Amino acid sequence: MLAFTSPWHYFTDPVLQAPTIGSMLMCLASALIGVIVFLRRRSLLGEAISHASYPGVVISIFITAVFFPKAHDALAAIVLIGALCSSLLGLWVIEKMQRSLKVKNDAALCFVLSIFFGIGVLCASRLQFSHALWYQTAHIFLYGQAATMTDIHIVLYGTLAAAIVVALFFLYHSLRIAIFDRDYGKSVGVPIKAVDAILFILLILAIIIGIRSVGVVLMAGMLIAPAIAARQFSDRLHGVFILSGLFGALSGFFGNYLSVEIPEWGKRQGWEWKFALPTGPMILLTASAICIMALLFAPKRGFVRRRIRALYFQRECCRENFLKYMWKNAQCLPVEGIAKLQFGPKSALFVPDSSSAQNAYSQSSMSFCAEAEPAQKSSNLSSKANLAIPSMSFTQLKAGMGFSLWQTFWMLFCLKNEGWIEEKDKKFCLTTDGWQRAAHIIRLHRLWEVYLVHLGHGVEKVHRSAEEMEHILTPELEQELTLLLDNPQLDPHEQPIPSRNLFTFIDTKSAEKTSSSEGML
Amino acid sequence: MMFFAAIQNNPYWGKNFFNVILLFIERMFSACLGKIGMGDLASDEIQICVLSLVAIASATVGTFLVMKKMTMLANSLSHTVLLGIVLSYLCLLPFLPKEEMSAHAVSVEVLLIASLITGLITTALTQFLTSFFRLQEDASTGLVFTMLFALGIVLITALTRNAHIGTEAIMGNVDSLHLHDLQLIFWIAFSNLFLIIIFFKEWKVTTFDRGFANSIGFSGSLFNYFLMVLTSVTVIGAFRAVGVLLVLAFLVAPVLTARLFSHRLKHVIFLSIGIGVACSVISVALARHFLSVYHLPLSTSGLTVTSLGALYLLALGLKWGLKIYQRRKPLLSKN
Amino acid sequence: MMEDIPALKVEGLSVNFDTTSVLWDIHFQIPQGMLVGIIGPNGAGKSTLLKALLGMAKPLSGKMECFGSPLRKAKKRIAYVPQRSSVDWDFPITAFELVLMGRYGTLGYFTWPKKADREAAKKALELVGMSAYADRQISQLSGGQQQRLFLARALLQDADLYLMDEPFAGVDMATEKAIIALMDQLRDRGKTLLVVHHDLSTVDAYFDWVVMLNTCLIACGPVDQVFHADTIMRTYGRSNALLEEVIKLTQNKTCGFH
Repeated sequence: MLAFTSPWHYFTDPVLQAPTIGSMLMCLASALIGVIVFLRRRSLLGEAISHASYPGVVISIFITAVFFPKAHDALAAIVLIGALCSSLLGLWVIEKMQRSLKVKNDAALCFVLSIFFGIGVLCASRLQFSHALWYQTAHIFLYGQAATMTDIHIVLYGTLAAAIVVALFFLYHSLRIAIFDRDYGKSVGVPIKAVDAILFILLILAIIIGIRSVGVVLMAGMLIAPAIAARQFSDRLHGVFILSGLFGALSGFFGNYLSVEIPEWGKRQGWEWKFALPTGPMILLTASAICIMALLFAPKRGFVRRRIRALYFQRECCRENFLKYMWKNAQCLPVEGIAKLQFGPKSALFVPDSSSAQNAYSQSSMSFCAEAEPAQKSSNLSSKANLAIPSMSFTQLKAGMGFSLWQTFWMLFCLKNEGWIEEKDKKFCLTTDGWQRAAHIIRLHRLWEVYLVHLGHGVEKVHRSAEEMEHILTPELEQELTLLLDNPQLDPHEQPIPSRNLFTFIDTKSAEKTSSSEGML
Repeated sequence: MMFFAAIQNNPYWGKNFFNVILLFIERMFSACLGKIGMGDLASDEIQICVLSLVAIASATVGTFLVMKKMTMLANSLSHTVLLGIVLSYLCLLPFLPKEEMSAHAVSVEVLLIASLITGLITTALTQFLTSFFRLQEDASTGLVFTMLFALGIVLITALTRNAHIGTEAIMGNVDSLHLHDLQLIFWIAFSNLFLIIIFFKEWKVTTFDRGFANSIGFSGSLFNYFLMVLTSVTVIGAFRAVGVLLVLAFLVAPVLTARLFSHRLKHVIFLSIGIGVACSVISVALARHFLSVYHLPLSTSGLTVTSLGALYLLALGLKWGLKIYQRRKPLLSKN
Repeated sequence: MMEDIPALKVEGLSVNFDTTSVLWDIHFQIPQGMLVGIIGPNGAGKSTLLKALLGMAKPLSGKMECFGSPLRKAKKRIAYVPQRSSVDWDFPITAFELVLMGRYGTLGYFTWPKKADREAAKKALELVGMSAYADRQISQLSGGQQQRLFLARALLQDADLYLMDEPFAGVDMATEKAIIALMDQLRDRGKTLLVVHHDLSTVDAYFDWVVMLNTCLIACGPVDQVFHADTIMRTYGRSNALLEEVIKLTQNKTCGFH
């Protein structure tokens, strides 16, 4: 036996049909308009307008009760008209207060919000006294009530929601300009003021439709929650619109669904205390839940994903630092020919960074490299490379990096798995790939140091920044820097900058060609 | 609403607007002289006193909220305070008899703690959304308070099956005010006034020029938190009388009205207190008037807020009239 | 000697905003009795430097001393004139009340301004030529008049070190001349003034000493020695576009956006 009724039932059952479809349509409309409100950073305007519509609702019900007591069917339409007038008045007051009376935006919104709502409360008390049954109808609009919606409501609200969708569809391009690039729009003749006016009207329309299912008090949340959720998934305006509408419709459905199902489920479980859940707040809670899930788990902007990516980045930085350390400690370069290409006539090969005091080089290794025979042309890098790259022991690495036992073990294990280092006789050395990667990092580091000095920073200060930037510079930025700085050979500490040539397996002919054209990198 | 039969011995019964006010002044005099004890106060008088004290408490705090552009935060706090009240109410639910489920059941201390906690949670959550999720401030405010308010409504409806509490919380129930409420709101108004007065120059300088205030040693953010705490407490105090949403009217409308006429901070505060108190008296008198003359029981809190709005319009009219008079004055004096 | 103690000594100051370096490893000293201009392009950290000196921006590292003692202790000797745009001029106070705020620091909590404080405020208003506007609402004043009020407030603080953030922004010529005359008078009385300035053409004329800043210190010293084409070029000349792009990329990477 299913714990919950099938959702399909809600579309087919004649009693449940109208509330479900009605809510979905209303929430769809408000979610779409909410995108605009959210992107324009006027999320709280919706709050003020929804409260301002309340007196209109009450007064229109009052008028119907007094003058047209038989017009039950037309009530929905009359209420909409009343709400529309009241909201327009509220909007006008807000604009007037800000413009002529120099009242700040938030104070104007709160003023209209509370005063209009108070007037509504007053009128409702009058209604309650003389026409108690009609008062119940007015009361519905506080927190919404989907259950009493009929087919008339679907037709009415459905038409209005469709009108909103159509209007947005036709206005799409002008809308985009009005939101993101107003000055450009004004210059090419887009009627920005007219677009703004239409958007305000659509906003009011969406609100007066929505208050029937979500209520006056919670309408503001229904406008922005789906929009916030949609924004986390998409960077394109049409994507945000579509997703927002989808989330709105889903909230409308599940709000209704859960508000009926949960008490039923409780009843079936035999809970002793029976309760009912109000639909309006349930719709809003569903929308908020979707919003929070989106904020946390959205693929690009979600918090959880971002944290994971940030941690991954930190891990990569750590690994690159390790490879760098091994590179710097390697006693000599792999192949003399490449060494010549790399460093040109000056034979200063390995000079330790002045700041990394741990790297001590023996004079013997220096002289060994300096005396190296030039240009042994070889096309097979790897075999020669591996023979020449010196290796380091576990304890050396652990001490040098300052890691704990397990950290070092884990690091070496991961790097070995990924192919950056290899193990030979209990000692570790860089593979060619590892070598290239490390050299690339060093290149970026030293390029950045040259750039900072070029900008005017002191030579002693640039190392710290370069330690960060070496992990961040993209190939495009690297290219820009090389061009800007005229392909420098030495960094500010008089150390050679590894060239880009090293990173391709080239035969000697093309190596010579590229060495002469190094400047055009 | 009103129970007509039970209040026959109310001295205000059957009086119209002006008589109510006159009688009130007379009786207040006697009360000050000690001739009428606290226990003998009529319900109308209690209402006037409570509403006036709400006005005093709100005007003092509301002035700085408006100046600091924190009114939306006050709106946010007033919504989430409901959740705090609901939660504290629910914590006490097991200890209450089933019939006694009205808003009066919760004690003062619990309410105050609830206000502090919800105030802190609201601000913390809004800040969290803004900084960690890179959400814009207006959107995070809107999301936080509607979500928490919806939660409060769901809990309250589900767990008490008393729909009235939801409405009462929003709109208050002036007619069911006790002497007990008077005491609560008195202390809140008194402490608000006291704290604003003794720290007046600090409030002035931290609101006007935060950078300068920090440089001379007054922490801007400390006073911001202080203001939020005071607002939460005021909202709780007013919640029984006017409900959480209408407190906002008391916080904002008198200040905006006073601002039309005054250019000194002290005067703005006093004027807004005066306006709030006047509206309280007028609205209770009007409520009695409508009841006596037209036999219409109207919501007193609704009347109060409407009169606050009406007074603002009146003030605008007055100012406009004054401007025209001043423009015509040189012409008139020539004649 | 008392005169040898520098008015301001900053060592290794680094300030971050989010993950961006706004100020980086700043070292400088300023002797007493100087009118100092802080110049640099937008975003160079000039306002941040002032805020760090006042304890409003938390530095990542660095030591700051004012008249030989750590900043916290020397707060009474420092007066701050913030940017005019940072304040809401619709606030309901009069010009006199604004100036009187200068005494609030010395009064502390639970004390009201005394008659002597009010007299001093009146004198300060006279000094800046604003006595006629004492009871005027501040929103009715022009930019230049508002700046003068700020200056009068700073005068009331009777400080030894004045920190001013762009006092000449949006101010008419007459007010600018009046302000610089006042600053000269203060300097002649031995006060030290640190002024964030944006107009390169007037640096020679106005200041004795200059601090040239572009996230890090380019130069600091007497105007005639330090303020010339090369240092100006290094402060303003190099394009920082690449740097800004990289910094933005760093921010995104550390927050996990890419």
